[in-house]
Amino acid sequence: MEPISLKATGRGRRRLLVNRAAEAAAVAAAGIAIAALGVLVWSVFSRGVHALNLDFFTKGPALFGQAGGGVAPALAGSLLLVAIATAMALPFGVLTAIFVSEFAPRRIGDQIRLWLDVLNGFPSIVIGIFVFALCVKVKLPIVGWGRHQSAMAGGFALAVIMLPLVARATMEVLTLVPDQLREASYALGVSKWQTVLRVVLPTAIGGILTGTTLAVARAAGETAPLLFTSALAGQLVDWNPAHSVNSIPLTIFQYSEAPDEALHQQAWALAFVLIAFVLVSSLTARFLLDRSRRKLGATR
Amino acid sequence: MTKRLTISLAVLAASLIAATAATATSKDTTITGAGSSFVAPLVSTWTPALGSAFGYSLQYSSVGSGAGIAAITNRQVDFGASDAPLTPDQVAGCKGCVQIPWALSATSIAYNVPGAPVHLKLNGKVLAAIFLGKITTWNDPAIKALNAGADLPNLKITPVYRSDGSGTTYNFTDFLSAVSPEWKSKVGNSTSVQFPAGLGAKGSSGVTGVVARTDGSITYVDVAYALKNHIRFAAIRNAAGKFLYPSLRRITAAAEAFKKVPANNEVHIVNPPPSAPTAYPISTYTYVIVPQQTSHAAELRKLIFWALTQGQKPQYTAKLLFAPLPKPVLVASEKTLKTIHS
Repeated sequence: MEPISLKATGRGRRRLLVNRAAEAAAVAAAGIAIAALGVLVWSVFSRGVHALNLDFFTKGPALFGQAGGGVAPALAGSLLLVAIATAMALPFGVLTAIFVSEFAPRRIGDQIRLWLDVLNGFPSIVIGIFVFALCVKVKLPIVGWGRHQSAMAGGFALAVIMLPLVARATMEVLTLVPDQLREASYALGVSKWQTVLRVVLPTAIGGILTGTTLAVARAAGETAPLLFTSALAGQLVDWNPAHSVNSIPLTIFQYSEAPDEALHQQAWALAFVLIAFVLVSSLTARFLLDRSRRKLGATR
Repeated sequence: MTKRLTISLAVLAASLIAATAATATSKDTTITGAGSSFVAPLVSTWTPALGSAFGYSLQYSSVGSGAGIAAITNRQVDFGASDAPLTPDQVAGCKGCVQIPWALSATSIAYNVPGAPVHLKLNGKVLAAIFLGKITTWNDPAIKALNAGADLPNLKITPVYRSDGSGTTYNFTDFLSAVSPEWKSKVGNSTSVQFPAGLGAKGSSGVTGVVARTDGSITYVDVAYALKNHIRFAAIRNAAGKFLYPSLRRITAAAEAFKKVPANNEVHIVNPPPSAPTAYPISTYTYVIVPQQTSHAAELRKLIFWALTQGQKPQYTAKLLFAPLPKPVLVASEKTLKTIHS
């Protein structure tokens, strides 16, 4: 009698091999995806690092023919644009989410969800043209903000990009808030709106912040919505929301087309600043989300 | 927790409102302009001086003459800037705009040809043939005939032109139309023409960038860009038969060959007559375009007057090869400037 061999043979052996190959391919694909990110960050950093210094962050572009200078107008402009966009998108997004998850009948809620997803997939250039037609091309009866490119118009376009992101993220986290909390609140005789304001929102605040942070990161890198709404900008730092301002993505584009090697380096450095901002805010968002998940888990 | 949140949100909202109110009520001395990339280097050297003289923030956007005319026509900015005079259609579209010559310089013919001399000699006919796509290599007999002794490579010529509406294109095609009947009938003279051959790039810095990176390329660009980026530029044969590269004296000589300023301030100074032997043949005025009635009339009058007088001083203009405006043009400019009102 032959001893029983534990070695796989025939069909079993083939399955084992296929399994191994599939596993290896999956690992390789994951590795390549991570490596692509690594190579991207590193190549941008290594090309831009020489341009990174204090002047880069604090000064405007150098006079024609002179060396040095920085990108302060682009940094300030992007900050202003994103702040305006957040101020517009955050209340609308959160209120939409509260309506859908707390007040709306199921059918209407589903419809709103669907249309928010459609808006999220909208080409950003179309949003730019929409805002251009709405408040750059015509005069709005608001204190001189119409009929001009302005940070308000640019911020509005970015807010349209951010709105579905904020609203959808807030909806997700509001559905995570356990119903027992709401029931406990009602049991104490608290009205519905007070329950939302005092119980549901504070519980979900971490998730809302996460969604907002991710939306801010996305908006900061958007170029197309700004082309028609805030592109005619000069070379000085400008904090006036009624003026057209510079922005990081448009400045990267302009500098990369320039003949000057120093400007190419500044474009790389600016790209690195943008990537660093997106990475840091994504990681922060992840951290906030984890914390709020843990907190929600604890209350369950 | 909630209370603190509410308070901080309220503070945030209040400060946002306060900031908006403060910027809206404070006196607005930002002057915005857009257009010509030809004049952009000069405007950028004026900007700090204007800030300290009047406290104005001048925000100039170098988007090209074509886009600048569009921007002022739609009143997106306080002034436009163009190196091409407005066409009758554009004058009608802009509804009460005036053009004021405010700077004077030249278009250089910049090239990137390894081994070519520092100032390659070219004439209008050869230049037209190159941009028509008829002369295709740098060792073509027509180029060799003008550059005796030069060691020109057997390299493909890549003409590079402006893809956006450009006053430099206007100036260049103005010159080619004056010297080449074939160019005039086939391509013509405008801020954007259909180039029969070559590569397009956006803005003065765009074409300079392409030429810097491309062996065998040739383009036309504001001489300041060629100088700054250490790109060689050609000596062009003028009507008197002299091969000249642009310099301050030669630009001035071209401007002084034309004394009359018409009512609309449109002055062409390309291809001056042989009576001006030292004139560089591809020179141009560049214009600031302002609506006659504008809410910023007082500021614009001050700013443009400064540009016409203080702004012409060598400390701003010389390094960039902008020549001071000749007297008759200056007089006409100041006369037009006085008609700007609120």
